[in-house]
Amino acid sequence: MSKRVVSAPHDLTTSSGFILPALVAARLALALLQPFDLTHDHHLSSPLTSYANLQEGIYLFKQDIDPYSGGIVRHSPLYLTLFTTILPNSRFSAALLWTLCDALGAYAMMNIYRARQGIKTSSRDGLVAAMYLLNPYLFLPSLALSTSSIENALVLLSIMFASQRKPSQTLLVYAFLLHVSLSSFLFLAPLLLLLISEPFSHLASPRAFSGDFKKLPPLLGEFAVCFISLTMASTLISGGFSWIGQTWGASLTLPDLTPNVGVWWYFFTEMFDHFRPFFLMVFSVHLLIYIAPICIKFQYDMLYAIFLLAGILGTFKAFPTLSDPGLFLSMISLFPETYPYLRYPIVTSLLHLHAALLLPLFHHLWLSQGTGNANFFYASTLVFACANGAAVIDCVWAGLRIAIGEEKEGIVIAQE
Amino acid sequence: MFLSFTATLTKAWSFFLILWLTSCLYVSGEYHEHETEVKDFFQRNGSSTHTNNWAVLVCSSRYWFNYRHMSNALGMYRTVKRLGIPDSNIILMLADDSACNSRNKFPASVYANAGRNLDLYGSNIEVDYRGYEVTVENFLRVLTGRLPESVPRSKRLLSDSNSNIFVYMTGHGGNEFLKFQDSEEVSAHDIADAFEQMWQGGRYNEIFFMIDTCQANTMYSKFYSPNILATGSSLEGENSYSYENDHDLGVSVIDSYTHYVLEFMENVNKTSRLTMGDLFTSYNVPKIASHPGIRSDLFPRPLGGGEALHDYGRGSGWRHPGEWVGREQEKSKKGSEALITDFFGGVVGVDIEEDTSDAHHTEASSDSVPKERTKAEKKGVKASPYLAQRTTKTRSWINLKELRAWSSFLIVGLLVGLVWARQS
Repeated sequence: MSKRVVSAPHDLTTSSGFILPALVAARLALALLQPFDLTHDHHLSSPLTSYANLQEGIYLFKQDIDPYSGGIVRHSPLYLTLFTTILPNSRFSAALLWTLCDALGAYAMMNIYRARQGIKTSSRDGLVAAMYLLNPYLFLPSLALSTSSIENALVLLSIMFASQRKPSQTLLVYAFLLHVSLSSFLFLAPLLLLLISEPFSHLASPRAFSGDFKKLPPLLGEFAVCFISLTMASTLISGGFSWIGQTWGASLTLPDLTPNVGVWWYFFTEMFDHFRPFFLMVFSVHLLIYIAPICIKFQYDMLYAIFLLAGILGTFKAFPTLSDPGLFLSMISLFPETYPYLRYPIVTSLLHLHAALLLPLFHHLWLSQGTGNANFFYASTLVFACANGAAVIDCVWAGLRIAIGEEKEGIVIAQE
Repeated sequence: MFLSFTATLTKAWSFFLILWLTSCLYVSGEYHEHETEVKDFFQRNGSSTHTNNWAVLVCSSRYWFNYRHMSNALGMYRTVKRLGIPDSNIILMLADDSACNSRNKFPASVYANAGRNLDLYGSNIEVDYRGYEVTVENFLRVLTGRLPESVPRSKRLLSDSNSNIFVYMTGHGGNEFLKFQDSEEVSAHDIADAFEQMWQGGRYNEIFFMIDTCQANTMYSKFYSPNILATGSSLEGENSYSYENDHDLGVSVIDSYTHYVLEFMENVNKTSRLTMGDLFTSYNVPKIASHPGIRSDLFPRPLGGGEALHDYGRGSGWRHPGEWVGREQEKSKKGSEALITDFFGGVVGVDIEEDTSDAHHTEASSDSVPKERTKAEKKGVKASPYLAQRTTKTRSWINLKELRAWSSFLIVGLLVGLVWARQS
């Protein structure tokens, strides 16, 4: 156990209870006021998560036209299920719904932190919630009504249920998540392993995997039942199987080359057709190859493995928005034990600041003003990928370094 | 524990399997219903069912002294454009350029009357085949659509099975032939075979064939494909004559049959309901100086024209009997009458008639509108019963997509409820 237990500089116990409601209320006020229309921003929503495309899908469904017969609607049919039945479909209700998702995400983060520390309440609760709600990478896409906020809430909820050892809830929420975003497949293995192990911090004392593998098959079976019944519900509402190619297939075949903050789109705009299948395979496999090594290396602390995979996803996903790396950055608040061991947090933060300034600037220069071209924006996405990569690598380093402990006089830690 | 788990698993599986099968049935049933509705819309009996209009206007003779043939074609071109067929749907073939002929005292203009009141050439005409491109081969290739890939779209007849085509030919002709360019001829059999190829290829809905040459009526005598209405300017063995000369140009400027047809067309506008029968009854034999003929035995719809059409070819004014092939079938024809605008204009005159009782119920409020309405408005009112019929039909039993949405939501809710209840 690390000697440096991080404690708050001043007592937040009395005020932390008010932080979450206050921030949620502020979020709600901002959403209802709607000072700008961010719905069409390329950084905040992608073709898979855009609110405009969701509205298109709902409209087409209501006109008795198959929403998945064209190339616009790439949202899961489960969204159609909810928005055409119980959820109202207006800007006002959308503001409420997205604020609710943010609140749920913050609540889940608080509970993950509490589960990891093994305490019922803590003085840092408010700080953790604030890290989620005040992160501009997260609240801007939420104001833009991008469904990536819903995806983030689902990720955090499933991790929360896993940390609280509630397998049914975990698997159901994760089944929803996998339906909504195929890239979250990366979380399947670590979530299941987290369910059968524990969320406590063992970063400083690595050991072999502590869970019982015999518990895995029933969990997998239950997940399969949830997943298949959700598939049937989706097939039922969309009246066919075309939704599979349009929603999940989009992450695999990249049919839409709308610019976003990721690195896939530019690569595939300049690619010859006969190389396309190969590189699509390479990019998809690139995401999959991280699962096994990270889960094996961090088998003593699966929560940290999930955190790192969220970072990988945020950097290398097919249609990312700012929410995906934003989730990773906010989740850093769950692992305060690693802060002393980060090697270059300043560099990473400055890179992120740099990218955050360049991305909208070059996007405007390219698409609004017309004095730049796509290379400008692509360069800024490269800087952003650099920043994300630096953050992930530094967190991997810190997670491993913490096991070695503090430096002592006269002893140098070298890598063989 | 594992056995009980598999038992619950199979129970859950069977429930979902049944649900999935029923949903597949719903889906397939709905698709079939859409198809029949769409088919019905396009195959209604008794009204003109065309959706687009085309015109093929051919002047087949060259040289300055055949000025009148070019102005025939250009006059038809102007009328057809005025009544609504766009340039993209007109194939104009002029074998010679009389506007830019060195003998033309009024360069860049072509006139069709003696006082040179109306310039038919203008600055807004589109000649698709000019000069030596007007050959029998090109004409037949345009009709049948068998053109090489390099031919641009403007030179193609891109008609489909819902197109009404107006084919007008003028030049020097004889008994079952028409002379092209003073060097070759097309025979009535060739054109009849070309029309049959078009019918087999689904390239027309109805054809109106008009020809102004000597012994013109022989040119349509060999047709054998359905849905063709034909008219010509003179009988076998009879010449067609020009109408008038212009003294400054020094040539005849228009043929008399075409002149009177164009004069009749001046009374037609896009929304008029004058019928083909009205056109035929307007033929005045002493004025035209030849006996125009009609062939309507291949044409399924009645020609209109009222009582006057019964005397066609037989009344006073006919120096000897005129020709109307298909006179006997005229009485027994059913359906809506063939309008001028069916061939010379657009789809303004196409009616969408509903004869189901559902439509009358929904149209009850609109029935009381006054009769004096323009064509477009009438079409607008009549178009809505189709939509009204659709929605009433889907509302009369369960609304399918809502059922699907709610049953899908039910599955999701069931899952959430199950997990909530277990609380494990």
